[in-house]
Amino acid sequence: MAAKGLSRAKEVCSQRPAVAKGATARGKKVIGYPCVYVPLELLAALDIVPYRLYGEMREPVTEADRVLPASFCPIMRSCLDCALKGRHDFLDGVITIHSSDPQEKTARIWQSYTTLPYFHFVDMPGTTRPEAVDYFASQLKGLVTTLESLSGKKLSADNITKAINAYNHQRSLVQSLFQLTRPSPPLLTGTEIVQVIKAVMSLPVDEGNQLLTEVIEEAKARKQKSEAQRARLLLWGSTTDDAEVMAVLESNANVVFLEDCGGYRPYRGKVSTAGDALTALARHYLTEITCARTFIQNVAAPTKKDYHKDLHARYGYLKSVITDWKVDGVVLLLVRYCDPFAFEVPAVKDYFASLGVPATYIEYDYTEGSLAPMRTRVEAFLETIG
Amino acid sequence: MSTGEKKRVINRVKAMYPLRAKVDESYLRSQEAIKAGKPTVWAMLNFCYGDPILKAMDIEVVYPENYGAALAAAGVARGYLDRADAEGFPTHLCGYSRANFGYAARLMELGGEPPPEAPMGGMPKPLFLLSSVAVCDARYKWFQALGRYLDVPVWTLEAPLPGIREFQLEGCYEEMVKLSVSHLRDFVTFVEKAVGRKMDWDRLDEIVNLMMEINRVSHEVNELRKAKPCPMHSRDFWSAMPPALFLLGDLKESLQLYKNLYDEVAERVENGISAIPEEKYRLVFAELPPWHSLDLFDRLAERGWNFVIESFGYHPPPPVDLSHVKDPLERIARYSLQRMVANYRDALQKNVVAGADVYIYLKYVSEWKCDGAFLHPLVSCRSASTHLPHLANILMERLKVPSLIVEGDIVDLRLFNPQDALQRTEPFEEAMEHYRRVRRELGFDW
Repeated sequence: MAAKGLSRAKEVCSQRPAVAKGATARGKKVIGYPCVYVPLELLAALDIVPYRLYGEMREPVTEADRVLPASFCPIMRSCLDCALKGRHDFLDGVITIHSSDPQEKTARIWQSYTTLPYFHFVDMPGTTRPEAVDYFASQLKGLVTTLESLSGKKLSADNITKAINAYNHQRSLVQSLFQLTRPSPPLLTGTEIVQVIKAVMSLPVDEGNQLLTEVIEEAKARKQKSEAQRARLLLWGSTTDDAEVMAVLESNANVVFLEDCGGYRPYRGKVSTAGDALTALARHYLTEITCARTFIQNVAAPTKKDYHKDLHARYGYLKSVITDWKVDGVVLLLVRYCDPFAFEVPAVKDYFASLGVPATYIEYDYTEGSLAPMRTRVEAFLETIG
Repeated sequence: MSTGEKKRVINRVKAMYPLRAKVDESYLRSQEAIKAGKPTVWAMLNFCYGDPILKAMDIEVVYPENYGAALAAAGVARGYLDRADAEGFPTHLCGYSRANFGYAARLMELGGEPPPEAPMGGMPKPLFLLSSVAVCDARYKWFQALGRYLDVPVWTLEAPLPGIREFQLEGCYEEMVKLSVSHLRDFVTFVEKAVGRKMDWDRLDEIVNLMMEINRVSHEVNELRKAKPCPMHSRDFWSAMPPALFLLGDLKESLQLYKNLYDEVAERVENGISAIPEEKYRLVFAELPPWHSLDLFDRLAERGWNFVIESFGYHPPPPVDLSHVKDPLERIARYSLQRMVANYRDALQKNVVAGADVYIYLKYVSEWKCDGAFLHPLVSCRSASTHLPHLANILMERLKVPSLIVEGDIVDLRLFNPQDALQRTEPFEEAMEHYRRVRRELGFDW
């Protein structure tokens, strides 16, 4: 009998390339993307399967050393290392996006050293101003042009609407998934969620939605355990792509909310189906994904600064998470050299302090060797919050 | 950290000194402006994008990036870096930004008065902050993070950066211009509100023309440096660049000073005068220099190393005729975009898809006839470092030019060891000699 729900998620995670190759064998084009800012709706509408590219924490970086310096985002270094080792050779192409310097810089190196048939870099503005949204939409139009050429199909209004609806359904399902971590103890662990999201990002949208539906049903059917109360943590950071990292954080606590790109962040809100689809996608991706890379402030063109209002504009969405998920403490978990998030650390700590929630900053270098010190840091933090 | 000796070997261009002095003058002017009730702004280097607007609105501007370099050069950055660490900023962040966080914390501690230990009188509290998304994440996240210390608004300038191939897609360039012009128009409104005055559009028009002319002359000066021996060392370029790069001081005066620089360098070319006593090797430097250890270049000059071209990001864009563009904002936009766009077209022709910042060094090395590249990856600056390993590969692959990679930092002198760099010169000279022979065998003309 074929695996379902959480078993299926685990299975997909352990065989991601094989799963994607299955789509290739069925005659589908498969396109890799290393960042969640790539609007997957455009791929799905052209019958292309998106495949999230991750690093491999357990794989020593060897090939990327000859093309990237050591003091660089270790996730993107690892991701490129995998590409240079031929791990992504089954792909029909890669889409990268200017969501951060490492994404942009790696894209250019990636393109220079690999020979995939398709490679597209999408530029992305830094602000959410109206002209920035328009420019981003024009960049998406460029992406459509090259994707149409790759797929040999034309993007129709009907297909893009269907794709937006399918991904909006996926967003709703992930939002429902996170409702299952609200009870105490939670019905799903953070470790399980990392695996489910990783699996979903490796599958065509309908299969991902099927998997999410199964996981939600399975978790809801779980019996509430009566276990000793464990601290409930919010994880804030760039991305978590390895269940082992989450397992370390959860050795003596529950991570009940993952505010990162391996958790809730890519699934916040919904894309509007009214008006021009490219503009709607541009607006959604630019404003709803709460990555530190986008410059956000309390008013678009302020004449004076109010730091606390500014913090609320940047992190206010976390206030209800803290209360609704009954968060006891926050772990700010970043890989070293993640500049957009690293600049946020004192400010986001100020924000959590204003809510009366303790927070700790932990930096790691995306190697297996960093897990032991991480465990020590988490344990020390848990002791301080009782 | 010093290399230990103080002997000056580089034959400095005299016309550079009044240009360099404009940096100190700009800090003094900003302090005087504050006393006179005039607005001062902290801005990121914005590649002639926001600066002409500020200039036209009679706003004094200081550049924390530039000041970070000044703190490093004066040897006083350490205390500010330590303060930034104590404030909770991760230590791998941009050295300039960390120095600035420490400075801003001190500034506010002193009620908005510049710290007494700050060189050149320090940077006064600004009216607003002008950040830019160009080049790196740090240059807008940094000013956002300053909100902890400075209760002043921030404007973030957009800077479109498509890929080299994607730039060829229909309409891409015009969308970049459209974004830029619309964005600058809103920025003008923001500045007008901040200072309570309306833009003088005729003045802006004049400033834009002067800006382009200053940069054109600066570009021509660098063209003269192709001469053998090279008449002007990188140190003179770095010293002379701020008035063009940051539009410091009176622009008509700056234009005359750059013309003087051109005349002196041209005279040197005519008389075969070199920037160093004996030019044995011609080198390109990428990217940002170790501001705290610039006497390293004197030690290298003693060995016959002449640095003939450098730091792409600090160079003016290739000249372009925009006289047909009547709207000064559109002229600013097209001129600012020219820095990347002009190189994109050539880069694609040469099949260098890794970006203008890689392509341009191929151009530098082949046109300025360099024997080697001195690459300086910075521990705390990813943007000025990421392309360097690929650059070393492509210089060797296409032009048979070797690279010496010496890690360091722009501000934190603990991360740079000039003695180690000097120890590596001799074997690198052998490599440069070897590849000079290889190039000749392969038919290169240098």
